[in-house]
Amino acid sequence: MTTLEATGETVAHETAVRSPARPAARRRTTGLTALLAVIALLAAVPVLYVASLSVRSRDDVLNGGLLPSRLFWRNWPDAFRAVDLGHYIANSWAVAAGSVVLTLLVAVPGAYFTARAGRRGARLATLVLSSYCAPPVVAVLPLFYLLRNLELNNTVAGLALVDGLANVPVAIWLLDGFVRQVPKEIEEAAWLDGLGTWASLRRVVLPLISPGVAAAALICFFLSYNEFLFALSFAQDSTAQTLPVLLSLFQGDKNVEFGQQAVVSLIGVAPVYVLAVAAQRRLVAGLSSGALK
Amino acid sequence: MTARSAVRVPGALAVPPVAFLAVFAAYPLVYVIGLAFTDSTLARPLQRWTGFDNFRTALESQSFTGSLWRSVLFAVLAAAVQLVLGTALALLLRARARRPGLLGTLLLLPLVTPPVMVGVAWKLLLAPVGGALGGVLHALGLPGVNPLGSATGAFVTLVVIDSWQWTPFVMLLVYAALLGVPDDLREAAALDGAGRWRTVRSVVLPYIEPTLLSVVLLKLVIGFKVFDIVYVVTAGGPGFSTTTSTYDIQRTALQEFDVGGAAAATVLFSLLIGLVTSLVAVRRKRHEEVAV
Repeated sequence: MTTLEATGETVAHETAVRSPARPAARRRTTGLTALLAVIALLAAVPVLYVASLSVRSRDDVLNGGLLPSRLFWRNWPDAFRAVDLGHYIANSWAVAAGSVVLTLLVAVPGAYFTARAGRRGARLATLVLSSYCAPPVVAVLPLFYLLRNLELNNTVAGLALVDGLANVPVAIWLLDGFVRQVPKEIEEAAWLDGLGTWASLRRVVLPLISPGVAAAALICFFLSYNEFLFALSFAQDSTAQTLPVLLSLFQGDKNVEFGQQAVVSLIGVAPVYVLAVAAQRRLVAGLSSGALK
Repeated sequence: MTARSAVRVPGALAVPPVAFLAVFAAYPLVYVIGLAFTDSTLARPLQRWTGFDNFRTALESQSFTGSLWRSVLFAVLAAAVQLVLGTALALLLRARARRPGLLGTLLLLPLVTPPVMVGVAWKLLLAPVGGALGGVLHALGLPGVNPLGSATGAFVTLVVIDSWQWTPFVMLLVYAALLGVPDDLREAAALDGAGRWRTVRSVVLPYIEPTLLSVVLLKLVIGFKVFDIVYVVTAGGPGFSTTTSTYDIQRTALQEFDVGGAAAATVLFSLLIGLVTSLVAVRRKRHEEVAV
């Protein structure tokens, strides 16, 4: 980025002054860690409260208080008995996984083009990114008719298709940065070695951007797994409904079962948290690649 | 940067993204404009030309015109709150270490939480009966409150919930930008006698201003899309006080089945978003030109 270089050059290179007080610096770091840990804990309160609700009886909830007065595990089997949770979990995963495959099939070649095809690539990138500016509700009615004509209304495949397309701009935005980091010389060398364009793409470029592809896949998985507007609009009954839709249906009940609702929430969020922590480096690198461009 | 290179970029690679644009951008845009000027039902679209009738319906609808203004207010407020909080967190995280670490990931978790679940969690937290907030106030001997009971309270609550979810996103992007601030720059400021806060304000933040503007633009765009938490937490109420345009349009189309009215509303809403985001984009562009 030109701004970075410009400002960097105007600064005279002074002799570096390192802070001499090491123990003070360490104390400061500890203090910052403690402060951030407290903030993280406060931020976790809504989720922790849901966890607490999941092991409380109805009466215990209505009595108020943050913690259960007595552990009440029955919400868990009851939640599974009240609704076919397994079915909604399967739908959510199928929609998310299917959509990721579609997104990558479009976005990997797309990002290579936007990053490498000079002015044509830049033009395509602008178009793709501006399509992301329109809120998804714009597409709800047109896509409703499209899915109906394809006979994909109220199907898992239909939702995967729609979510997969919806995430393409995000994936191209992320992957573009990773493609740009691949030195052109490597590709030129492969080309001189007699590899055709396609072979060099598959055997040289793709392996080099695979961390980016993994990050994009992870982020798009989360987006589809969490998606609600399309799932609500295009899945009219339990055939294709996903976990967020199921969770929203609890709201309509007059007699809200707090405990069971909490159980469904936790089951919905658990895989996302596990994946996010397990793949934290990928996630952070992926999300910040846009900013570092 | 150079266009001259031994590497050829096959045009075929552009086919999937162009097909994407056709299906997901061009087709919806044309179709929704078609729906806006015709009479349609969910079963049978585009039946007969009706001119501007649908636009009149949309503008006369009690909920829609108000929703436009509320959407702008929501997007701007949310972006502002999250920019301030996210930047503050990023500065703390950066001052602590050059890697976000596990603590950074934990702070990021709200971002990946399904928004419907975020809404459910906050709704339970704030429930007048059985909610944690009420419980805490009761334990302190204070009277209970119901933030979702009043128009302003409900709107502010949605901004708070949205900020809970999205501040980590701003934090991460700003943190990444902070890693790019050269150390000599900070050190030069320190040599000139600038304190820590002064350095941040006069050197670091101006340096990452392009990123901050991008973040604001991105957050405005995302803020206009808010739907899930409105649906779950307030259902647009009390009254229409939290009915944003996305919520209003979805309800008009798929719960009241007024396809033409919803389509006209969509067109008007898109024009508004284009206007607001281009204001920020122009400012960003001007900034870039000055920098070059």
